[in-house]
Amino acid sequence: MNKKISSIFFLLIIFVSITLAYVYFTQPAADEQNYSGSVEDVDDDQLSDEIDDTFLEEDDEIEIGEMV
Amino acid sequence: MVSISSLVLADDEEDQDEQDFGDEPQEQENETQEPEDNETEEEIEIMNNSLGAEIRLLQLEKALLKNILKGNMAVEVIKGLGYNTSELEDILDDMEALLEEVKTANTTSNESVQIFVELKREAKNYTRQFRETVKELLDDVKINEIRATIREMVNGELQNYSKRIQNRIRHFNRNQLYRLYGIIGETNNSFINEYMNGNITLNQTKLQICKMINQMTKEKKYDVFSEIKEENIKGKIHAKYSAENGHGKGKGNGRNK
Repeated sequence: MNKKISSIFFLLIIFVSITLAYVYFTQPAADEQNYSGSVEDVDDDQLSDEIDDTFLEEDDEIEIGEMV
Repeated sequence: MVSISSLVLADDEEDQDEQDFGDEPQEQENETQEPEDNETEEEIEIMNNSLGAEIRLLQLEKALLKNILKGNMAVEVIKGLGYNTSELEDILDDMEALLEEVKTANTTSNESVQIFVELKREAKNYTRQFRETVKELLDDVKINEIRATIREMVNGELQNYSKRIQNRIRHFNRNQLYRLYGIIGETNNSFINEYMNGNITLNQTKLQICKMINQMTKEKKYDVFSEIKEENIKGKIHAKYSAENGHGKGKGNGRNK
């Protein structure tokens, strides 16, 4: 009987240890999640504007005015 | 998305064309503003390398040649009407000399931005002087007739320039594509080759880049966007700095009237 009780007690200690270890090691991941939440959404129009700015249109010309 | 902004740009260009061929070109009023305007500042953004400088100087060469050809035609027509064209011919001689300067400008020089800004300013001044001299000689009806005559005549002679400029711009965009792929962390060589061969358009290329970025995680997309934006801002700051440093360093403003 005593052996049974000590086995249950031992299993309980292992369970508590595992739970504590899990909580401890998942704590940084929770921080990361908060950090991720702070990343702004990139607006599609803004993104395409920046990509447009990166390239030069092939028919791009320099204007110096009309002669007449 | 990319095509929308391109359409807006195309729309702006159409508006500009309409203004150019209208009875009184709007740009006449705009040219009284400072030459180192936003337009020039945008143009020099790409001049932080020799390829960008080469493109801008080649474009200036084309614009100047186009105006010289139009000017020569206008002189012939005005001469035919019995007017004295010696002043106009002097301006055209100065423009020819300026064209030679543009052709021989060193694109690898550290001063290429300043050289470009100065040469463009002179080209605009000569153009304005020619236009104002024509205005003193002829009435609006005759000016409109001459404008209509010379409008389409010079396009054929400039085809060679257009092709050369397009080729250099494609090389410039290829370099930009490699830079963007570097930021994204993935390179699509076949897509670059397709663009260089003219099998896909620049807009399709931009859309492909947008697609690649939109498939990323939120964090990665933000990082890539930030880096692209940072590079573009750096270019704008560099252009502003170059434009301000170039101000007043030139050789003169053309002929004083």
